[in-house]
Amino acid sequence: MTKLLEVNNLHTRFKVRNGYLHAVNGVSFSLDKGEMLGVVGESGCGKSVSMMSLIRLLPPAAQITEGEVLLDGEDITHASVSRVNSIRGSKVGMIFQDPMTSLNPFMKIGDQLVEGIVYHRKIAKAEALKQAARYLKMVGISNAEHRLNEYPHQLSGGMRQRVMIAMALLNEPSLVIADEPTTALDVTIQAQIVELVKGLREKLNMSIIWITHDLSLLAGMVDRIMVMYGGYVVEEAVLDDIYKAPLHPYTIGLLKSIPSLKTEAGSRLPSIPGAPPNLFSPPTGCPFAPRCAYKIGRCQDEVPMLAAVSGAGGERPHRVACWVDVRERGVEQ
Amino acid sequence: MTDQALPLQQEEKQFSLAKDAFIRLIANRLAIVGMVLVLFLFFVAIFGPYITPYDFLSQDLMARNQPPSWQHWFGTDDLGRDIMSRVIYGSRTAVIVGFSTVSFSLVIGLFMGALGGYFGGKIDAFVVWLIDITMSIPSLLLVIVINVSLKPPLVNWMDARFLATGNEFYRNTIWVDFVLVFGSLALIKWPKAARIVRGQILSIRNKNYVLAAEALGVPTAKIVRRYVIPNALGPIIVYISASLGEAMVLESSFSFLGVGVRPPIPSWGNMISDGLRIWQLYPHVLAAPAAVLAIVTIAFSFLGDGLNDALNPRQWK
Repeated sequence: MTKLLEVNNLHTRFKVRNGYLHAVNGVSFSLDKGEMLGVVGESGCGKSVSMMSLIRLLPPAAQITEGEVLLDGEDITHASVSRVNSIRGSKVGMIFQDPMTSLNPFMKIGDQLVEGIVYHRKIAKAEALKQAARYLKMVGISNAEHRLNEYPHQLSGGMRQRVMIAMALLNEPSLVIADEPTTALDVTIQAQIVELVKGLREKLNMSIIWITHDLSLLAGMVDRIMVMYGGYVVEEAVLDDIYKAPLHPYTIGLLKSIPSLKTEAGSRLPSIPGAPPNLFSPPTGCPFAPRCAYKIGRCQDEVPMLAAVSGAGGERPHRVACWVDVRERGVEQ
Repeated sequence: MTDQALPLQQEEKQFSLAKDAFIRLIANRLAIVGMVLVLFLFFVAIFGPYITPYDFLSQDLMARNQPPSWQHWFGTDDLGRDIMSRVIYGSRTAVIVGFSTVSFSLVIGLFMGALGGYFGGKIDAFVVWLIDITMSIPSLLLVIVINVSLKPPLVNWMDARFLATGNEFYRNTIWVDFVLVFGSLALIKWPKAARIVRGQILSIRNKNYVLAAEALGVPTAKIVRRYVIPNALGPIIVYISASLGEAMVLESSFSFLGVGVRPPIPSWGNMISDGLRIWQLYPHVLAAPAAVLAIVTIAFSFLGDGLNDALNPRQWK
């Protein structure tokens, strides 16, 4: 497989009133062509910010301070603004969390869909609209030609998310970043959207990064999972390894807190005690140490590096950032 | 707009937002009433001197305070002047005052508001500070101060210029009233517009659709033109239509207090203040300008409301 995306030691911080908020603290990963990566973590763990940093879609207060993002070997972090714009319009598609507010209420669906490709590909608008109609059909919107002429408020939430997906796919991107695309939708629509994306991925052979806080959603969908905590990647492995042999205490905690049918009725759902770290003044040691049941002395003082697990093989081995090998410790939380 | 008729779908007509909005506006009866009245006001203001039945200054001391009749539709005032002619001529004053105040304040307000809302940080803090300071100045006091301190030297200067050059332009000091009083009024009225614009831009900038457009690589100028401005327009239109009526009422109160438009140039305001002295005996002297002022104010709000609804697709049924 060929590599599409390579991220090395990415740091992003926000300027706030009296200093900096360190949202992303050295994220490194790679993505193959056609691969689907799930990024998991709780709110504020830096998962969205790190993925937005890939295409520099950040608010003015945010700043990438270190690291590089290579898309098809091209460095995005140091590219010019116009180059980044054209990369956004041609190679990367974004799907956002809240479809209800992601469409301009003053523009027709069709106009909005084709805005990017008309600008970047310099094709005629009528031609672009024909293509848009084709993509709307592909994402399961009936009567697509008619819909192009409607305004966003005439569509339901699920329909709007389909439109957003069509919008992201229209420029035939090699990478799609989906930032919690199903969070704002109800469960049945959520399942439809997941099925849709799975189908489209096979059809169009693109790489997808799916950001979510719902670990269970990723089962049966993604190839690899990356778990983030406090702006760090704490564990990264293929789907099965994460589910069956998690090695970071945080991943273990996340998996335990998924409700299952086997859970005894009336029993409390396990949760991870404590609160996420303050990114304003990050702890000197492992960010998860204060909440960790496995912690040792070293965890307080040194940040563990993300490194291949001993015994794991392959070109892209299971990686974990923990001083403790949980396999050697039988400690139950 | 770049929108053209799409070949995709023949059975349904394709329109741009502007055309769509116009169709909605036409369908709104109150807006049509407002629009007709406003157009009529403009017509009267432009062609006023040619359609008045009498000269607005000509006095007929034999026919003072006449009630409405076929000769004088709105009656005559205490100097025997035809009230209808004066109301018609006064519409010029109203239109000039309304538009000069609103457009000056809007230009300053748009600029300052956009500046603060878009750049944020220290610039925004400065804009907000300026807004707060300006809003704390009582408008009446400022207008009186300007009138008393700046007007006489300016009028003297214009007289001197007229004597020196013989240019008729310098003779008409009525413009000094307009520019000075209502220009300065605009100078202290802009914070309202600036606040609206700033608030709109701040909220729209963080909207997901702006982010989505950025994610498609749409350039900033296009985002501002197609995403930010249309979404910010509603409250600004309401501001314009409300302020037009408001400015005319303000002009009335300034004229009432003796600053602003001076007699014998008629303005609805000074006609109302004249009428107030004798309205128990001759109510028609007050009634005509007051009714016209009320109708025009309402017409502007109908039109503004209609425009706001028509331009906002969410309001459509």
